[in-house]
Amino acid sequence: MKSSYRGVILLALILFASIVCTQYTVNMYFAQRYMEVLLLSGATVVLFPLAWMVFRKDQRDRREQGK
Amino acid sequence: MENEKTRQIPLKDDNYTHNINRSNERSLDRRSFMKTMVGAAGLFAASTLPWGALAAKELMSSSSKSYPTQKIANLSDIKPGDAIEFAYPGEHDSALFVYVKEKEYKAYQNACTHLRCPVFWDRDEKELLCPCHHGKFDIATGNPLAGPPRRPLPEIVLQEKDGAVYAVGVKRYEEQL
Repeated sequence: MKSSYRGVILLALILFASIVCTQYTVNMYFAQRYMEVLLLSGATVVLFPLAWMVFRKDQRDRREQGK
Repeated sequence: MENEKTRQIPLKDDNYTHNINRSNERSLDRRSFMKTMVGAAGLFAASTLPWGALAAKELMSSSSKSYPTQKIANLSDIKPGDAIEFAYPGEHDSALFVYVKEKEYKAYQNACTHLRCPVFWDRDEKELLCPCHHGKFDIATGNPLAGPPRRPLPEIVLQEKDGAVYAVGVKRYEEQL
């Protein structure tokens, strides 16, 4: 896979996971399954720094490649 | 003091939009696109925090949760097939009591589990109907029968005493499933 696509695809997957987790957080809250709400909202919070790290790594790789 | 001639805008610039470079107005490069995705992930992360806080609060207080006893109606005042709207457990929590038939009555929180529209009692079809997107619920269990809702309506625990019906609690989902 070309490195120029890797970061974008990874970020798209992370964003997709964020959307799914957010949706389930709200659903589980109304279903009164509070432990799942805590786990899912924790997962969404963890996904954000992950996205940030993927972005930083992508930018660093491109700088090293001179793009 | 400036004279009239120097204050005049040159004809080529007299159009209010001469400094806008339209061809680059809407361009989104790769870096900005990725930044937008990271920002969106951050937004989703922040938006789940209040739900997490509410869930933690519920988890800590669920063991000590108690419901008030509230009179809904005298059974002699209503006929089978009737429905009464009331507020339970809080004054903003709308609920629906249905006198299905003789010696059979049910009550549910009156907010569709899809988008929280009020639910009505369809006397002819013997179903609870959400008019927003035609969601239907079973009167015996509160389970969704048709339409977009996926979760059952929360059931209110009823008690009959001295010819009157009282609401005494709200069933948790785990108890219903």
